[in-house]
Amino acid sequence: MVNFAQGEFVMVSGFISYTLLIRFGIPYWLVLVLTIVVSGFMGVLLERVVVRPIMNAPIFSIVIATIGASIVLRSSAGILYGYDVLPLPTIFSKDPIRLGIVSFTAMDAGVIGFSLVIMAALYLFFKLTKTGTAMRATAQSQTAARLMGVSVPRIFSLTWAISAGIGGVAGVLIAPIIYLDPNLGFIGVKAFAGAILGGFGSIPGAIVGGMLLGILENLSGYFFNAGIKQVSTYILLILVLVVRPSGLFGAAPVRKV
Amino acid sequence: MPRRSRLGGAALVAVAAILLVLPNVADNYVIYVMSRLFVYVLVALGLNLLTGYTGQVSLGHAAFFAIGAYTAAVLAERWHWPSVLCLVGAALVSAAVGYLLGLPCLRLSGLYLAMATLGFTLIVQEMLLQLSVITHGSEGMKVQPASFLGLTFHTDYRKYYLLFVVTVAMLLFARNLVKGRAGRAFLAIRDNERAAAAMGVNIARYKTIAFAISALYTGLAGALSAFIVGFLDPQEFSLFLSIQFITIIILGGLASLLGSVLGACFLIVLPELLAGLDVWQALVYGLIMVVTIIFMPFGLSGALQRYAHRWFGIGVEPMIPRRLGH
Repeated sequence: MVNFAQGEFVMVSGFISYTLLIRFGIPYWLVLVLTIVVSGFMGVLLERVVVRPIMNAPIFSIVIATIGASIVLRSSAGILYGYDVLPLPTIFSKDPIRLGIVSFTAMDAGVIGFSLVIMAALYLFFKLTKTGTAMRATAQSQTAARLMGVSVPRIFSLTWAISAGIGGVAGVLIAPIIYLDPNLGFIGVKAFAGAILGGFGSIPGAIVGGMLLGILENLSGYFFNAGIKQVSTYILLILVLVVRPSGLFGAAPVRKV
Repeated sequence: MPRRSRLGGAALVAVAAILLVLPNVADNYVIYVMSRLFVYVLVALGLNLLTGYTGQVSLGHAAFFAIGAYTAAVLAERWHWPSVLCLVGAALVSAAVGYLLGLPCLRLSGLYLAMATLGFTLIVQEMLLQLSVITHGSEGMKVQPASFLGLTFHTDYRKYYLLFVVTVAMLLFARNLVKGRAGRAFLAIRDNERAAAAMGVNIARYKTIAFAISALYTGLAGALSAFIVGFLDPQEFSLFLSIQFITIIILGGLASLLGSVLGACFLIVLPELLAGLDVWQALVYGLIMVVTIIFMPFGLSGALQRYAHRWFGIGVEPMIPRRLGH
């Protein structure tokens, strides 16, 4: 399953949390929970309304449908909030903390810590729980999963809810760092590059891939100009894919006979 | 079958006649939009040969479009090549790059291929900015109108006929290609690589050929677009353009030449119709995209085929894959 509107979940969650925080003055932790819930529901809604009716169409059709949905979400946000960047407050302090030669802010540490917790939780969920196992089974073979008593449609809805919910967390966490505007969702493309680099369908792969891209991008920004910094990730991606066509951690693709 | 071909033939003649007369009755803006439509039809034909027929998805076609456009512009500006040679040169350079990109892409499929070609688009766009000695970087490039044998294509009216002739010729070429040996090989590769290989299809060869021909169409379209617009802005050749191209063939219908044409009409004409909606334009456009896909998952040409069969008994019901029911 592919979702090109994932970045838009991040963007919409940013705006939702902005509205709750600034306009309604709801406390930060409650906002975080509410945003995750709303974003999760949005994911289920998108799955039910847009993706499920075309489940049997070519995968490209699903890709285009989610791209269409992302256009709708982006322009809705543009109509409601305008295209100027909005600052989103954060609970973490932005003052630098020095630790030896490394200097970082409490916000950086908070974002990293939060991401680590979510990654660990996801990993354990997929490995240990029955639902997580059912999800992995569905990814491998829908038919076999159904024969084992897995309700595939329910798994799909749940997957979309989780994935959109995580997008929601990302939105609340990242918006204070890179600022909020309707085009924030384009970060999804880079996230996708990270997932592909690591190997699709592998959580350690997604983590390593995402981190590699982040590190490379900042390093090349140091050595080259800003333009090359932007594309360095894709140069690496193509080079890696030429050597390892299924990404760093991806299993060799199973071919239909 | 005869009934279908007779009706189809009549429709084709009617459309061709309308298109031939159109510039004499329509205003300049309509003629200009139509010329852009032809450019997009060319790209859609090329992309459909690769993605629709051979099953190799590409988000790299904005790059081929850029390579074609810039090759033509540079050949005309620096070396004052005749326009015909600029067009041919642009198409060939683009095809060569397509062939070279096709080689590493032989090992990739599906999302991995999509991501690698996406990267290609972004890298080429960045190169347009970095190689400013040749491309003038972010300033963009001016392109003089094309001219053949003393005839200059500087008015919308003349540009239209240039595009019309090239598009019809390339449409016929694509039709012959997909009906012939290569077309059958493409479809066989898309449906089942192993079975195709077992039947003696040289997979690597035909996949790279598909890449090269697809890039040739797109590069030619890029060069023509450079001549009709008269200015190249590197910002235009973005990932968004690649996504637009792939949207055209999916909305129009994969593995369908008619679909390529219909999809291009959809993508070019619809925003013109929605232009009055101001801020709501993108929203409505996205909604129409989603709704179209939901109700016509096999594109406009798939829907056309289905209803032509259901209501008028023309042609055959398009094949719908087995439903994964409960």
